[in-house]
Amino acid sequence: MEPEEISSHVLNKLLKAGADDVIVSVSRQESSQIKYSNNLINTTKTWENIDLGIFMALKKKIVLTNIKDFSLSAADDVVNKLLKFVKSASPNSEYAGIAKGPFSYKEVKDGYDKKIASLGDKSIDYVEKAINKALVCGAKRTAGVFENSVTNVSLLTSNDVKATDKGTYSYFSIRAFNSKYASCQKVGFSRMLDLLDVEKLAEEAALISKQSLNPEHGKFGKFDIVFEPLPFANIIDNLGMALSAFSVEAGLSCLKDMIGKQVANKKITIIDDGTLKNGFASSKFDAEGAPTQRNIMIDKGILKTYLHNTSTAKRFNTKTTANAGLLSPEPTNLIVKKRDFSKQELFEQVKNGLYITNLWYTRFQNYNTGDFSTIPRDGIFVIKNGRIGQPIKGIRISENILNLLKNVIAVGNKPERVIGWEVETPVVSPAVLVKDVNVTRPVD
Amino acid sequence: MFKDLADFAVKYALKLGADYSEARLESTTSNSFILKNGIPEASGFNKINGLGMRIIKNKTLGFTSTNHMDKEKIKKLIQNTINTTEKASHLREEINLSEEKANKDKYEIKQKINLNDVGPEEKIKLLFDAEKELINTKIKIPSRYLSLSDSLTTEYLINSDGTNILATVPRVCFFYLLTVEKDNKTSQRIWQYGQTGGFEFVKKWNIPSIVVNEVKALQKNLKFGVKPPKQALDIVAAPQIVGIMVHESGGHPYEADRIIGREGAQAGESFVTKEMMGTRIGNKVVNVVDDPLLENSYGFYRYDNEGVKARRKYIIKQGIINEFLHNRKTAYYMGLKSNGSSRSVNYDRESIVRMSNTFMLPGNYNEEELIEDVKLGIYMKNFMEWNIDDKRINQKYVGAESYLIENGEIKEPVIKPVIEITTPQLYKAIDAVANNSEYHAGNCGKGEPMQPIPVWFGGPSIRLRKIRLGN
Repeated sequence: MEPEEISSHVLNKLLKAGADDVIVSVSRQESSQIKYSNNLINTTKTWENIDLGIFMALKKKIVLTNIKDFSLSAADDVVNKLLKFVKSASPNSEYAGIAKGPFSYKEVKDGYDKKIASLGDKSIDYVEKAINKALVCGAKRTAGVFENSVTNVSLLTSNDVKATDKGTYSYFSIRAFNSKYASCQKVGFSRMLDLLDVEKLAEEAALISKQSLNPEHGKFGKFDIVFEPLPFANIIDNLGMALSAFSVEAGLSCLKDMIGKQVANKKITIIDDGTLKNGFASSKFDAEGAPTQRNIMIDKGILKTYLHNTSTAKRFNTKTTANAGLLSPEPTNLIVKKRDFSKQELFEQVKNGLYITNLWYTRFQNYNTGDFSTIPRDGIFVIKNGRIGQPIKGIRISENILNLLKNVIAVGNKPERVIGWEVETPVVSPAVLVKDVNVTRPVD
Repeated sequence: MFKDLADFAVKYALKLGADYSEARLESTTSNSFILKNGIPEASGFNKINGLGMRIIKNKTLGFTSTNHMDKEKIKKLIQNTINTTEKASHLREEINLSEEKANKDKYEIKQKINLNDVGPEEKIKLLFDAEKELINTKIKIPSRYLSLSDSLTTEYLINSDGTNILATVPRVCFFYLLTVEKDNKTSQRIWQYGQTGGFEFVKKWNIPSIVVNEVKALQKNLKFGVKPPKQALDIVAAPQIVGIMVHESGGHPYEADRIIGREGAQAGESFVTKEMMGTRIGNKVVNVVDDPLLENSYGFYRYDNEGVKARRKYIIKQGIINEFLHNRKTAYYMGLKSNGSSRSVNYDRESIVRMSNTFMLPGNYNEEELIEDVKLGIYMKNFMEWNIDDKRINQKYVGAESYLIENGEIKEPVIKPVIEITTPQLYKAIDAVANNSEYHAGNCGKGEPMQPIPVWFGGPSIRLRKIRLGN
């Protein structure tokens, strides 16, 4: 029996047993990855997975399951276990249902590429070209991954949703090294293979890596900082979690009770767009089957909404933003709206500051207040009178996320698409300039 | 389980010309329960059945996995993997594996109270009990997030060298996030408990008492906390702090794959080089080990995911760098035998070098003796924020429950003392180690795709001399 037939079988059985709401999703994914380091391929990897996800609400008792086991007997076992499980579960008095279909859906533009689906081991050629390009441009060593994937999703709900979607992506990362303490990482992704230029990313990584040779120890203090799109995306990724209504309820958000209030500089507009053309997380529908949409989250610094599914939206007396997550609403593609300045013009506005090309290990002291610290990684440079100068190392940014967003004084005009090891939510962001960022370092 | 499929897969890869093949079959069932501000958010259970394979041909490594347990499907995947390794061979890292004994064994971690004998109702009741106790404290706790989970994994590992291991490992985990409010200020803590074994450990933890103690300490800190002194002082760091320090800067930098550069674009590299073996990194009282064999530990295993027998590794011995963590590949590269540090979190991830349970060995003092000898200092019991750079030098730990020490006595709470220090500074500042070892659970992140793997980290209380706190 095909997985989709199993979906229908499961849905009907659960409804007959008295379930109020049921969502059954089947996801089939075929992926490959070339992992490389020291200019050589470490491993070639392939994955083929089928996932069956079931959500059931019965008298406000909610049970979720994910099964990586496909057979009719396994499905029947799951149904029996769900019904047994739900009997002893406790009702969630705040549960308020799932999206009511039927819906009409729009295809994601540039969401599926046959070239990716049939790429196979030709992916090795891309990695080879990128490594060679980085070496030609002066890098001594490179490391990274090139990943390609095809996903087919089908969704069936008890609220008249029967939908399918398919998508592809290519994701490339490269970290170029010129010494242990001189490096640069660049990442890129695309749903369409020809729109991903791995050699350009390799060249950019190599040039910054070379420039970051012989770093000195950085100083502590307040600095105006130009963030590359990659490190700013790291911060926006963390903001994305704070935007979820679930996080607001769970005490994991610094944006609680801030709707309608200024949470960032007026130069900052942030959009969550599940329909974005060639967006990494774009899809026709969310996990409940609601058609994805474009939501302005922060408009000129003012918080407009949280990310919602049907149930959290009802609790907040608003409409779903089509960001289900069955348990927790999740961001899709977060876009920092571009503005006026080229990167050069951002540098020119800095008298005494820093240029940061990557961040890692962002951790919060208090999600509720937004106090956190994060560590610049790879090339870090002093900016003096508008010009990039001495590379530095050994510093940390110790800040408050709302304070940092309020201190954004200029936003670049050239967005980049970021996803990666430290940035789980796809972010489209230009470089930004933030004033008076608190920089610390180990105490002598 | 589909053991016959795994056996077939290993043989089939050899038939197609592989020099080495290895299959890892996983069958996992798991349950989870979440209580958010007193509301049972959802209950859930998951089931995994899948096969992962590593194949080496012409010194080129390929990995493939599927949960479609069909012979023809697996044959096709193996063929594709062989083809891809051939295509990659001109640009491959040369893969050689250290010679190791082919182990054949079967083991199961015993459960006194079987996870399957405890119904969902009883499991979520424990969270409700904790919620009730939290409310009874009358402390303002605007967010209370409690989650309890358990899993039962059976792994079957077979390789073409003759290894054949069947392991059954149950795990239990409790996670909480609590926010305490006082006079419009909040303080927050996230912590986790985890062990291998049955439900008896969940009962032993006494979840209500854990969370009540936590909120009382947070409230006391908010109510009476003072700013930490600015001058250089001594720090007595309790086991939770020592555990995270040792994990981050006493474990990670000694993972051989990081040292070689294989994780360069992911978790990063290391300040440690092969040439630093045998050199001093800390005071002679510092002994750091990684030991998968601690009974019922969260990172327990008897054989790693390459079938190598697990043993205790002395990473730092009397302050001297003594041993790196190795898999068969890194061991061969450095002319050694593997010390059994290869792990993968699920069937669909390649095994890589990982920690298991990493901790500082106890010394001869009791904690009170460490404190008695401090004129001005901080007793840091636990933390919330922490991080470390990707070379594992520059690290930060921000105290949550912390107290001032004056003339050998614990005084009032201190608000957010910050240790921001380099690894050599840290390990050289340790002058005394207590005997009150504790172990704490975490999920360590590494690899791409990410592999959050269960570990313990721990140790006894330690004393750091002449530290200037960060801002």
